[in-house]
Amino acid sequence: MVFLPDEARSLPPPPLFNKGSAWLGLAGWGAALLDNGFNRRPVLRAGVHRQILFATVGWFVGYYLIKRTEYAHAKRDRELFEYVKQHPEDFKTKEKKRIGELLEDFCPIR
Amino acid sequence: MAAPLRRGKGLRLAVGALGFVLTRSAFVARKPNYDRPNWFGVGLAFSTTAALWVLLFKQHNEDVTEYERRQKERHHKCTGCS
Repeated sequence: MVFLPDEARSLPPPPLFNKGSAWLGLAGWGAALLDNGFNRRPVLRAGVHRQILFATVGWFVGYYLIKRTEYAHAKRDRELFEYVKQHPEDFKTKEKKRIGELLEDFCPIR
Repeated sequence: MAAPLRRGKGLRLAVGALGFVLTRSAFVARKPNYDRPNWFGVGLAFSTTAALWVLLFKQHNEDVTEYERRQKERHHKCTGCS
């Protein structure tokens, strides 16, 4: 099972600052802080090199996961639109009623 | 946790006459020493961080160039210029 097939490269790549990277980077940083907490070290001030490393690893992994996610969504959308195109009889749009036809006739009661 | 320790002590007691232990271990437990920075660990962490960022930037630039190349190729085919 390939991580990303070649056709995925036809999709626009995610920006370097993307949701997945930001979230996993934050999670990595949190993991470093948690490690500090468990080892009875000052939470924010200790092991800054570790915090930066964990955040970077999270950012890195997030980028690749987002690429894979975008490919999966694009593939699903392509299959969906292909199906809709091949079965137009199932997806007829209802004729839009004009507002004049919708309202009742005006019968003034004097 | 207590059982293996006790077994070790039992082994030492069993060979009380000899001056050595029957099994050796490469792993020794040490209490972390926070008085001096672990410069090796710090260097390793920072160099790994730098390497990861370099790889990420390279990968992103490659992806962007590859995407733009494919877009250009696709439009080239459509307009069908000479």
